[in-house]
Amino acid sequence: MTALPVATQAPFTHHGSTGAMVRLSLINLLLNVVTLSLWRFWGKTRVRRMLWGGTSAWGDPAEYTGRGGELFLGFIVVMVAIFTPIVVAMGAAQAAMAAGHVWAGLIVFALQVAIIVLAGAGLYRARRYQLTRTIWRGIRGGQSGEAWRYGVMMIVVGFATGLTLGWAWPWAEMTLTRYRMENTTFGDTTFDCDARAKPLYKRFVVLWLAGLVFLAGISAAFGAGVYYFKDLEEGSAAFFGFIAALYAGGALWALLTLGVPLAWYRAGFLRHLAAHTRFAGISFAIEATTGSLIKLTLGNILISILSLGILRPWTAQRVFRYACAHLRTSGEPDWQTVCQAPESRSRMGEGMAAVFDGAGEF
Amino acid sequence: MVALPGRFNDGRTAASRKVMVSPSAAGLDIRGEDGLLVAFWRIDDLRADGELPDGGVRLRCLADPDARLSMTQAEFVRPLLPPPPRFPWSKAVAALIGTAGLLAALWLGIPAASRWLGDMVPRSWENAWGDALVSGLEKQWGACGQPAGDAALRLLVDRLSTGLEPSQRPRRVLVVRQRDINAIALPGGTVMVFSGLLKDARDPGELAGVLAHEFTHLRLRHPVAAMIRATGVGVAVTLITGDSSGVVATAAAMGLAGAYSREDEAAADTGGVAVLRSAGLDARGMASFFRRLGEKSGMVPVWLSTHPDSLARAEAVEALDGPAAAPPLNGEQWQALKGICGAEKAKP
Repeated sequence: MTALPVATQAPFTHHGSTGAMVRLSLINLLLNVVTLSLWRFWGKTRVRRMLWGGTSAWGDPAEYTGRGGELFLGFIVVMVAIFTPIVVAMGAAQAAMAAGHVWAGLIVFALQVAIIVLAGAGLYRARRYQLTRTIWRGIRGGQSGEAWRYGVMMIVVGFATGLTLGWAWPWAEMTLTRYRMENTTFGDTTFDCDARAKPLYKRFVVLWLAGLVFLAGISAAFGAGVYYFKDLEEGSAAFFGFIAALYAGGALWALLTLGVPLAWYRAGFLRHLAAHTRFAGISFAIEATTGSLIKLTLGNILISILSLGILRPWTAQRVFRYACAHLRTSGEPDWQTVCQAPESRSRMGEGMAAVFDGAGEF
Repeated sequence: MVALPGRFNDGRTAASRKVMVSPSAAGLDIRGEDGLLVAFWRIDDLRADGELPDGGVRLRCLADPDARLSMTQAEFVRPLLPPPPRFPWSKAVAALIGTAGLLAALWLGIPAASRWLGDMVPRSWENAWGDALVSGLEKQWGACGQPAGDAALRLLVDRLSTGLEPSQRPRRVLVVRQRDINAIALPGGTVMVFSGLLKDARDPGELAGVLAHEFTHLRLRHPVAAMIRATGVGVAVTLITGDSSGVVATAAAMGLAGAYSREDEAAADTGGVAVLRSAGLDARGMASFFRRLGEKSGMVPVWLSTHPDSLARAEAVEALDGPAAAPPLNGEQWQALKGICGAEKAKP
């Protein structure tokens, strides 16, 4: 890649209010209770509309044009055409296996592979759905590439990661991320990405070794815990104190030995990814730091847990806010050259695509 | 005519251009800074498209759906916009009816589908997992056996099986050491009688009634259908709620399992009376057993329980019963069967 101008401009802002998002979350909770949770498709749509609408680039806010009905329809299609047949087939294959038929094991394995591929394909379709319903200055986003291919890629890199005891992880993650990025379009213009995994291995070695330290500590604590634990009377104050200390100590230990190295690795990953992404002649950078990522993630975990998941939209808003505050560009593209993508699909085809694209979305 | 500044996106490129907008009763006259007409948006085509962070408004036009017009000074334009759509009451009602219909379809469809799927399970498969389950429980609880008691039990089982097709007869009946007053029918044609029930039973007729009830469960293949049904309820609830943690699914599966199994129990009571009568026995023991069970418990509300109200069951059984018949076992045989587990060795 040729030398790029330094990315120092900050054209992205998030101006959505936390109070409005919390209010929306609570209204959605109420409506979900009343509708046995079927409201969630419409609730999610309203959350996205607020997130997108609160995000501006070069002074103009984005729009989310997705509809709850589309998500609901996609959900029904997946439920009837994919989920239920798989569950029935899986149940029958497991029953056959329990009855002593060895061939059924192969079917179970094949179904497990199919489930992972379908899940990957579903994620990719969901991303396409969101991008095609993202509009800025009247121009639609989009995603090329094939969902099936992404699903197959996901299972291949997943196997590689397992077989190499995790060492393939940066490569796996970067391969999938690059595929997504290279296939992201805005109007008729595609993002370019030539980020590679190799520069990440310096940080990954530290993360992998930290993982070993984490496991060693947990095993030692478990051994010691079992030794002391057996003398405690069940239900006594000492018993509960011991359990609480175990959880608190475990969480602190995980934060120190896993959380900090992971945030450090993640900061490196995001910086590398942003620095090797281009769009319409401009380059990007992200000023992600270990400390700010820990603050973001820890806050989001606490919000999710303490609100029992009800305030998750707030955590999404915090991610949007973080991205807008830390993302930089080298300049402004010549927007005259970024045109609306020609509509190649017929009306009917678009309707069908909308159904299947929404299919991964629930 | 006022002319207000705005930003116009033509929907063909992502470029933004400064325009002057003159609102009138006919529509918006949009001109470039050079004064040339860029677009004219008719009032009927005009739609609000979102609020801007600076208090302005973004507009779109039905005739040119990709174009956008952003205006900071929106006070002259807002009165021209159509009022925000009203709450869609008809849609909401339709959605509620649809939801109720879906739930009703699932409510009725799950038991029917489970029965259908249960009938499709080959007997050899059912026997293989049933036997695995039985040997596990047997190991955990311990089975009872004494020659005289076994002989009496076999006599009773054979007598009850006379009215059943050979393929519908139970493959195995055993007594296990469990204090609860209960008996269970398991996949693969096994009936387990708990030692607690045997101890509680007052005469051979009561035990015969319980066995006839369990045999009917087996004949109707209830154990397999119940297993499939529980899975089906879990899947359906997970699908509707999207809750992958399984908390809601488990709660619903337990609640619905109770509701569905009450139907199975009623069917087994009716079928049990038929089994007794074709074996030349009466159902008085069955009724008296339920009646006593009802007096003992009766605290758990019916809708929470997996079994129907015991007194109602007793009355239903009495209504179906015929003339009195001789007991299925004599006193000596009954004492042998009562002592099949030996003296008071039931595990807690």
